[in-house]
Amino acid sequence: MYLFKMLQNEHLKIYRRIGTWIMIGLMILTLLVFALVSKFILNEEDSASWERQAQAEITQIEERLNSGAPLKVEQDYLEQELAVLEYRLAEDVPPLQSDSLWGFMADTTNLIGIASLFTIVIAASIVANEFSSGTIKLLLIRPVSRGKVLLSKYVTVISFGFVMLTLMIGLSFILGALFFGNSGGASAFLTYSNGQVVEQPMISYILSLFGYKSVEIIMISTLAFMISTVFRSSALAIGFSLFLMFTGPQFVQLLSSYDWVKYILFANTNLMQYINGVPMVEGMTISFSIIVLILYFILFTIVSWAVFKWRDVAV
Amino acid sequence: MTEPVAQMKNVKKQIGNKTIIHGISLDVYPGEVFGFLGPNGAGKTTMIRMIVGLMKVTEGDIYIQGHHVNKDFQKAIAQVGAIIENPEMYDFLSGYENLRHYARLSVKPISKDRIKEIVELVGLSGRIHEKVKGYSLGMRQRLGIAQALLHSPSLLILDEPTNGLDPAGIREIREYIRRIAHEENLAVFVSSHLLAEMQLMCDRIGIIQHGRLLQVEKMETLLKEKKRTVQVNVHPKKQAMEYLESLSWSINNINGILHVEIEQKEDIARLASDIVKSGYQLYQLNEKHESLENTFLELTKEEL
Repeated sequence: MYLFKMLQNEHLKIYRRIGTWIMIGLMILTLLVFALVSKFILNEEDSASWERQAQAEITQIEERLNSGAPLKVEQDYLEQELAVLEYRLAEDVPPLQSDSLWGFMADTTNLIGIASLFTIVIAASIVANEFSSGTIKLLLIRPVSRGKVLLSKYVTVISFGFVMLTLMIGLSFILGALFFGNSGGASAFLTYSNGQVVEQPMISYILSLFGYKSVEIIMISTLAFMISTVFRSSALAIGFSLFLMFTGPQFVQLLSSYDWVKYILFANTNLMQYINGVPMVEGMTISFSIIVLILYFILFTIVSWAVFKWRDVAV
Repeated sequence: MTEPVAQMKNVKKQIGNKTIIHGISLDVYPGEVFGFLGPNGAGKTTMIRMIVGLMKVTEGDIYIQGHHVNKDFQKAIAQVGAIIENPEMYDFLSGYENLRHYARLSVKPISKDRIKEIVELVGLSGRIHEKVKGYSLGMRQRLGIAQALLHSPSLLILDEPTNGLDPAGIREIREYIRRIAHEENLAVFVSSHLLAEMQLMCDRIGIIQHGRLLQVEKMETLLKEKKRTVQVNVHPKKQAMEYLESLSWSINNINGILHVEIEQKEDIARLASDIVKSGYQLYQLNEKHESLENTFLELTKEEL
């Protein structure tokens, strides 16, 4: 009950700020522009000839496989692709296309970075702002433990992240239906798992895309939240988290030949690597990544909590 | 004797190697305004931060209504309302929303009527639904007091409460603080570096310097210790002084002004009539109010 009232307060404090609504507005605008661009500027692909395209790709992959021994990971990847393409031709399952509702929704997942960005902004400022405005003093002299104050703020950040994601899913569905209708779409998505090709309903594929991306949002905003709590500076927290978010994966890719790289947070945040491709470092599995993510999560929350709980407030 | 609302027992604060508070013991009782007086940097705000649990006590104990501030924080702090330094509010919310925000964090439920009552009490009714962004410092100070009183605390802590207020505002706040302390039997703990202000507001005063409590005294006692004097400008000075001394007045000549010691109000009339009867020309006669300032400066005099 108490926590509920605290959540009410924290939500009030983010949704009554004009900046929050500017971010939500920007998000809507970006999706709208993206839909318009997809509809009117990007050329429609010739969907009639997908069979021929698939056939061409198969020949390419076979040539690549026969032309010597590529890396083990690459070989695995090519063989998977090959299996999917052959299944596609045999069962007559057309691929996902940008000018369809599902295709548009799947393309929208490329814009999830915006949701991450805005969630980072909230995560980075929700604690730091109380310090910079001095309101932390009046907030912490209430009959509530500091741990609960921090928890209510953290839950609010995560809830904001989900609001952004839900908004994206809902809006991409509405815009997709509006601009592309329900026509010419694939009905099923093909994945390769345990040595065979499986058909997955399109809607569940798209939701799982968003689902995997939400892991990234949670991790990066928990990191931003920790930096903001420890250094009490929203600028530092935003800058540092964004820097890591953009350079982290590149850094990991660059060093992917080293084995220790797999313990870096950013080698594990993208769980999609286990669905649509090959892992960043050879030998990584989805359960390994989940364990690493959980460990990082525990580290971030314990550091935030301990610092917030024990530090003297002298602003 | 009534039980103290707040008890501080040999409280020390150390930050790094630096000791900021060197063992302060102090009790604050219901119904009194206790003034915590000291120059800037003496440790007033640090002490207040420890009382409200924003800073941890290095050594010693602080109890509020019998609850230990560090060990039983939530019970202790539920009894406290405070403003620490400036009354910082969420300025993108209205005054009313700010109060609602704090009301949600109270142990006992706070009704809308109670909020309305407090708003009227601090005189913000007309503008309570405006955003705090547009408030003057005085209005923020009032909102700060409203926030501190919302949950009817038994200890009210005000750090420099008259900071940034105009003289009328200072007077209003001062009278208000005295009234709630005496009428509602509230213990009020006020810190300030403004002597004149404390003299008018407090019942009891503690003087702090370099993290040490130098003296705790009732305001009356503190003022009574000093002798009352009357300054007299009379002509011719020398003869007049000799004449008055012959009437057993005790007189100091400081820079051409005669300082006559008196004991009570009636002495002033007696002195005036003595001078007039003597035939000397009396130009000016006024009682010199002994301010706390002298006492304060004397107590906190730097050792050179």
